[in-house]
Amino acid sequence: MSRRYDSRTTIFSPEGRLYQVEYALEAISHAGTALGILAKDGIVLAAERKVTSKLLEQDSSAEKLYILNDNMICAVAGMTADANILINFARQSAQGYLATYNEDIPCEMLVKRLCDLKQGYTQHGGLRPFGVSFIYAGYDSQREFQLYQSNPSGNYGGWKATSVGANNASAQSLLKQDYKENCDLTEACSIAVKILSKTMDSTTLSSEKIEFATLGRTPAGKIYHHLWTAPEITDLLRKHGLAKEKTEEK
Amino acid sequence: MDPFSINGGACVAMVGKNCVAIACDLRLGKQTLTISNNYPKIFSYGDTYLGLTGLATDIETVSTDLRTKVNMYRLREERDIEPETFTNLVSSYLYQRRFGPFYVSPVVAGINNRTGEPFIAAFDCLGCTDYSKDFVVSGTSSNQLFGTCESLWEPGLEPEDLFETISQVLLNSMDRDALAGWGAHVYIITKDQVIKRLLKTRQD
Amino acid sequence: MKAEDDKTRILNDHCLMAYSGEAGDTGMLTRSFGRGKVQFAEFIQANVQLYGMRSNCTQALSPSSVSSFVRTELAKSLRSRKPYNLNLLIGGYDTVNDKPELYWLDFLAAKDKLPYAAHGYAQYYCLSILDKHHHPNIDLEQGLKILRMCIEELDRRMPMNFKGVNVKVITKTGIQDLEY
Repeated sequence: MSRRYDSRTTIFSPEGRLYQVEYALEAISHAGTALGILAKDGIVLAAERKVTSKLLEQDSSAEKLYILNDNMICAVAGMTADANILINFARQSAQGYLATYNEDIPCEMLVKRLCDLKQGYTQHGGLRPFGVSFIYAGYDSQREFQLYQSNPSGNYGGWKATSVGANNASAQSLLKQDYKENCDLTEACSIAVKILSKTMDSTTLSSEKIEFATLGRTPAGKIYHHLWTAPEITDLLRKHGLAKEKTEEK
Repeated sequence: MDPFSINGGACVAMVGKNCVAIACDLRLGKQTLTISNNYPKIFSYGDTYLGLTGLATDIETVSTDLRTKVNMYRLREERDIEPETFTNLVSSYLYQRRFGPFYVSPVVAGINNRTGEPFIAAFDCLGCTDYSKDFVVSGTSSNQLFGTCESLWEPGLEPEDLFETISQVLLNSMDRDALAGWGAHVYIITKDQVIKRLLKTRQD
Repeated sequence: MKAEDDKTRILNDHCLMAYSGEAGDTGMLTRSFGRGKVQFAEFIQANVQLYGMRSNCTQALSPSSVSSFVRTELAKSLRSRKPYNLNLLIGGYDTVNDKPELYWLDFLAAKDKLPYAAHGYAQYYCLSILDKHHHPNIDLEQGLKILRMCIEELDRRMPMNFKGVNVKVITKTGIQDLEY
């Protein structure tokens, strides 16, 4: 019976739902958690990396956090292959804007362009929607630091703190509890790492299992983005007593 | 109405001991009329520098197109582009317009991040690369620049001496060219730092 | 050619574009032939306004991005089958950085940001006056005084009557027409 309304992405079910979009959302809810927190002087993005095998090459490049352009980064939850397509689209789109206007693309415009592409796959038949949710962290001179989230349907919204992926319901309620208005970037980082430690399946955290990125402003006023290295993540974990070595000592 | 000498301009790059220098004038003109005395012709792409002389509209088009390409390269590779790679990029990009070229003469200068070797190169507007171990020149003052380079440049110059040499080369060449001058920018590039200096010159 | 032809376009609240092309390439005549300078000006105006509408009027293009956009379009047309032939000046007030800006573009789409600029014969008659009297931080009053000197010079020395001028002022508060 269910086959009747979900063989095509573009067909509404009698209850007015698009099954393929909901399946895409379902696929994302099995992916590693990703969360973002907006602080007054920057944004932190954190993501859980699901290590599937010891034999897997642990390359230095991030698999869940990506740089979109000089003042925007994003976290991915869902199918990495789909995400790569969208990230490449976003990067080219941002460079296209930069070439025409000699100015970085406003954050919301880039999010909107990406969501327009995603939306297209919920309406034009024959193709599967992108199975990816994004959290975007960006800066532009008009609206300063901004945090957005988007999902496979092409909906997007601005947030102060948000999460996607597995356990995102519990992460979301923890964020609601712990989020402080006007917190600074270091506070935001500690909130992020604490929440991630609670929502992740594994009891011990390590730099192989999570990824961290921050977007902020240098003392000189320049906007920077920074994907954290393994030692930096280990330092942060140790500071909050969440590192592996620490638990072994006890 | 040679497109290469409507707007005027001069650019020169030199190799020193573990360093390179690149310098350009600041004039933007329309034939003999000077429009601006603040039109730099050197652009940076990570640690690689590109000097462009020729038609001003193509200087702008080429520099922004290359910025797009280099930015995409950096995002894909997660590292800066090396001068050698960038040279090949410029060359193939220019040759794509073989039958409707951009009227620019590019000059590349940089230090290879891996080997620490200084690198310079120049091109014609079709992308034919001219690798050089000593100096490269471009622009309306290129004849004068060749002459001053031949007599002032010597191998193994330290950064400060290289700065003095390239400045004298550019200044004295510009003075013998009505289409270039009105101030200059000089970049001295070593492995761990880049110094940019502005030269004040006669405004005629 | 009409005597009172306003060769400026208001692009958005803080941005004005003035344009000039070859004589006769203006008004209704070229409209029926297609691509005249008015068409280019209208195209730019429409696109800059569309940009504002798309952001629900919350964001407008800054003068520097307007000038870059115009340059991209003019450069595209330069290598097309029938290029536009017009020279432009774009004046705007950057409300984010609180600075007035002036951009000079010629028909080849060469662009530069300048303290003062002119196109056509005015370049030869006026730039020397501006070189002498313009200083980096002059106020509007002094600016208008220099403008008056420039126009008097044109009146005196130009071999033709250019039938008066339109003067528009762009400030923090917007664009005003000035009685001249």
